Amino acid sequence: MSSSAVEPESPDLVCQLDNVQGVVDALTSVRWKRQQDAVLELSEHGIVLIVEETACLQAKVYLQRELFVRYEYSAEGRPRFGVSLGLFVDCLNTFSVQGHSSAIELRYPGPDMQLLLKSVESSDSCTYAEIRTRIPDTISWDYNFEPAGSTPLSFTVKSAALKEAIDDLEWPGSSIHLILQPTPPSVTFRGEGHGDLQIDFMCQANTDLLVAFHCDREVCHRYKYKFLRATTSNIPSSVIRDNRGSKLTIGRGGMLKVQHLVSVAKPAIPHPHVDSAGYQQPSRIAYIEFFVKPEVDEDDANDT
Amino acid sequence: MKFKAFLSDNGVSLLDKRFLPALEKMGKICHLYLTRDHIYFLHNLLNGDGIQCIAQFRKEALFDEYRLSSQNDDRISFAIDLSLLHRALHSIISIYTEFSASDSGVPGGNSAPNHIQIKLVKKLPPHSQQPMPFLTFETKGYKSAVIQDVPISKPLSRSDVLELQAALDMAQDLPQTLIQVPDMHQLQNFVEKMKNVGDVLNVSISKYGDLHLQVSTSLITLGAEFRKLSVIGEQAQSPTDDQNLSAQSRTRIALQRGDAMTVQVSVKHFFKSLQCHAAKPDCAFYVIAQQGACLTVVFQFFIPGTHQTDKAISLHCRLPVLDPGAS
Repeated sequence: MSSSAVEPESPDLVCQLDNVQGVVDALTSVRWKRQQDAVLELSEHGIVLIVEETACLQAKVYLQRELFVRYEYSAEGRPRFGVSLGLFVDCLNTFSVQGHSSAIELRYPGPDMQLLLKSVESSDSCTYAEIRTRIPDTISWDYNFEPAGSTPLSFTVKSAALKEAIDDLEWPGSSIHLILQPTPPSVTFRGEGHGDLQIDFMCQANTDLLVAFHCDREVCHRYKYKFLRATTSNIPSSVIRDNRGSKLTIGRGGMLKVQHLVSVAKPAIPHPHVDSAGYQQPSRIAYIEFFVKPEVDEDDANDT
Repeated sequence: MKFKAFLSDNGVSLLDKRFLPALEKMGKICHLYLTRDHIYFLHNLLNGDGIQCIAQFRKEALFDEYRLSSQNDDRISFAIDLSLLHRALHSIISIYTEFSASDSGVPGGNSAPNHIQIKLVKKLPPHSQQPMPFLTFETKGYKSAVIQDVPISKPLSRSDVLELQAALDMAQDLPQTLIQVPDMHQLQNFVEKMKNVGDVLNVSISKYGDLHLQVSTSLITLGAEFRKLSVIGEQAQSPTDDQNLSAQSRTRIALQRGDAMTVQVSVKHFFKSLQCHAAKPDCAFYVIAQQGACLTVVFQFFIPGTHQTDKAISLHCRLPVLDPGAS
């Protein structure tokens, strides 16, 4: 089955995916501009892809080993390498054929430290790719996310509603205040720029919208609109279709964590016996995390 | 210079549903070339660059009645805007079918048979002193008659027509090994995504029936290999020991043995040529011309209900080869 002519004695990782489209969706959700460098980190637990921008925004995609039909990891330590995110996604996308479950194999490193991909299904046709990797830059800023105080400040909102709210805030633009207050329990996005726009999620008024809410004191932080927008601009349509929620947490110093869940389930085969409505195997989810640093100036530096 | 013909029902549906949608994707403007027996739609045959597309019909494939005369050995050619042509034809068809529907409803109803007539005319356009050439469609509906004038270029000069015919003759001879395209739809899907990765496509065709497509840049190599495709013309038995090789090595060895040829073409051209699929061909073949002069895609049409080639219709594209030194 192997078609590689020169193979290194023992690659760090050989793994197989049966749902390329799900992974393409997950990776696309952190693709907020054309040219982005990404760092891939391999471990026995899975693959983590990290992208960041100007030390203010970082995103991580966790592809746990459970998402792979085969995952053979044999490296010491955690190998890391850089690739162009756009190229990686565009390349993976060529392996995803509509109406056809396409299984692919990923292998690292190739003879020249490339990331190797190939389709594994048919013997009469084969798609392959070699992506040049580079030595990654050191992550410029440590995004250690720590809770702000003893009780968490977090809320979970329908991903579709979050995206809609952030899209609407484009009009005032520039900076967006995010305010959480315990009484009445509510989340407010307020934009002041070309005009004022305030969007409130009231916890009691709409229990469908705001699924969970934890807040014991009022907090207010300001975030650059373009960074907030990056967290939802490419959310995959499957997330909206599955009616998933996104969790937002405010940590120490006002650092905002936005988490999405993207389904990487094998394209559903109708199963008459175990058809529990909307049930997804919990292990077939890719976790997406964004960390957004707040804008800090003298006025709100001591907010937390 | 005279041209007047009646489109057949089969010709109408061939043009409206299949060929015009496909040809429009090849480029807005093409040359319509009429001879005593054939009608051609020709893209890019006179200006060298770009993808050349040649659609040829025997007059019986499109017309019931066909009259043509010119002092240039009964050959007429002019440039025409395909989207205008398609719009005009489409509108004429709606009137024509309205008439046919009303005709069939009444037993022994309308006595005069209805036609879509097509002819070359010179007319004075509004606000102009200069008569202009048009290709005119004419038919009658239930309660109305409709004329659609499609503006065309001045007919090509005798020397230009000769040049067109020479380019056409050159495009006709087919080389040794033709390889049948795998699932066109899947290929189209794949190449569309490949467009995002690079601009230059290496296409290799072997006598074993292997088609290998590859985009290679400094950052990425992305390829697809399709094996055991049916071959027309020169064939060869693939070496038995190549099963475990990578697609790249297999192609390299086949090239060394002289059993394969490879050319570089633009990914965009390649994708465009696949859009000819809109003409609903029954199958398609890739061919590399001698000395790798161009990559040709030949679309084959069967006589409906059979597996025999319909020789009245032919369509092929020639993709210019990129100079490897320049890329």
